[in-house]
Amino acid sequence: MSLTSLVFVLFCIITFFLYFIVPKKIQWLILLIASLIFLFYDNFSVFTVLQLLIVILSSYFFGRLVDKYRDTKRGKVFLALGIIIILGLLIYLKYTNLFLTTFNHFLMLFGNSYRFELVHRTSLIGISYWSLIMISYLIDVHRGAIKSEKNILKLSLFMSYFPILTSGPFIRYDDFKDQVDRGEKKKFSYDALCSGLVRILWGLFKILVISQRLGYFVDHVYGHMVVLEGMYIFLAACFFVLQLYTNFSGSIDIIMGVSEILGIKLPENFKAPFFSTTITEFWRNWHITLGAWLKDYIFYPLLKSNFMQSLNKKCKNIFGKKIGKKIPLYLSMLIMWTLIGIWHGGAYTYIIGSGLLQFIFIFLEDVLEPVSNKINKKLGINTDTFSYRLYQRIRTFLLFSFSMIFFRANSVYEALRIIKHMFVWNPYILFDNTSLYYAKLDMFDFRILIVSLVALFVVESLSRSYNVREKLFKQNIVFRWGIIYALIFAIIIFGCYGVGYDAASFIYRQF
Amino acid sequence: MTKEEIFERLNNVFRDVFDDEEITVDENTTSDDIEDWDSLEHINLIVAVESEFGMKFNMNEVTTMKNVGDMAKIISERASK
Repeated sequence: MSLTSLVFVLFCIITFFLYFIVPKKIQWLILLIASLIFLFYDNFSVFTVLQLLIVILSSYFFGRLVDKYRDTKRGKVFLALGIIIILGLLIYLKYTNLFLTTFNHFLMLFGNSYRFELVHRTSLIGISYWSLIMISYLIDVHRGAIKSEKNILKLSLFMSYFPILTSGPFIRYDDFKDQVDRGEKKKFSYDALCSGLVRILWGLFKILVISQRLGYFVDHVYGHMVVLEGMYIFLAACFFVLQLYTNFSGSIDIIMGVSEILGIKLPENFKAPFFSTTITEFWRNWHITLGAWLKDYIFYPLLKSNFMQSLNKKCKNIFGKKIGKKIPLYLSMLIMWTLIGIWHGGAYTYIIGSGLLQFIFIFLEDVLEPVSNKINKKLGINTDTFSYRLYQRIRTFLLFSFSMIFFRANSVYEALRIIKHMFVWNPYILFDNTSLYYAKLDMFDFRILIVSLVALFVVESLSRSYNVREKLFKQNIVFRWGIIYALIFAIIIFGCYGVGYDAASFIYRQF
Repeated sequence: MTKEEIFERLNNVFRDVFDDEEITVDENTTSDDIEDWDSLEHINLIVAVESEFGMKFNMNEVTTMKNVGDMAKIISERASK
């Protein structure tokens, strides 16, 4: 069910209605039913039902067992079994082809003509989210941070809560239970409705007006890169990052708005990432809940593991304290970034684009920091100025755009070819009246894009200092409704609805 | 182990980990007060505290402790067991 489809609007209205008229005791049940409908709407089959049953039953029973045998060897075995089953299912459904292609390449390398056929498996929507969410549930039970859930249906709601299925964010069992299960009945609130709706509108604006439009350009250039080279590719690479961001954060806005109306607060996933001055900072503001998940369940445990600690000691003895302690750190980071890349998709383009390149950037930022500090000092550059920060922001954006060429390309080879074709000097296409419009978008589209992107950056900039929606609701009625109507009309008039209505497919949905 | 004892030993650990002889921690010291105390140094600190006091924090404690007071509380709870 696409978040920009009429079906989804109808689905939400019915869910809201039922949710607010039933007694508190069964409100969660309405959410569960709605979530199951959402989960199976696009692919209902024996195979997908089986997937749900496997995950739910293993999380439930192993969760109970881990709780019962906490701090014993048996508890650890149950934890491991639970994780292996959930992770196994994820790998089986998402990563079989990665193994098969790798294997095929090896066969080719040794002159063997046999090839394994790639498989196509339908997985339940949101698999990359709910598998990790359920793994963290089991680990939290094991760590004693939470008690295991006694009601299997409530655990099912935690796993399948429909707003998070399309593109996250990652939620924690404790936060979620606090809001859904404990406390008062969720009453309908007019304020929450307004605030939620404005957020939904903002999300629709980002997706339909900006992201879809940028997508036309990006798709066209990537499809014709031999003819459209140089500046076109450079623009397409930058546009793709903006397309990805407006699409991803736009769908997050929509589902956050929906959840806000339901009275359930979800953790924020973005914090104006394009204002970051380094890639390190960028990832603190981009897909925040993924980063937090990895930190708590992979990075910290890894750094604290006996292996890393003994490596730490050895390196300190050999290289001294300062450099020595960095080596296990970089090694852990390399492992974590590889996993982030793999999480994004079962192909080397993702592993390189959203994993290894990010690691390289962050590694270089850390290593080169003292050098760049020295240079700045020598040249007398004042780094605490708007212009210097602007330079840093543009640099960060360009580095990220570069890495996303891999993310967008169909193969590593294609990505390298794209990069090769990018280095053709033809910036004049920006100025000679018509050249820019070869790639699907006309002058009118570019004007809409410029105005919308300026609006986006202004709102993002304001959002760094305060809650923009709260401020908006404090404005007087004319201004407030003026903005809201402008948003509505912009979506209706300038939205790209593509062929047929349901064109807004979500980039992040496949993950 | 008295509270003073715990904090005295904690001071030594902090000074060693952050390479700064000037550091003195109290219950309300947080990562904001010590410049180098980021999420990475946090783990090194935790490991150093563990080896100093011969105990183990669990991962939940590692990620939820808010200040040095929380840390000292866990240490004294473990010590009295």
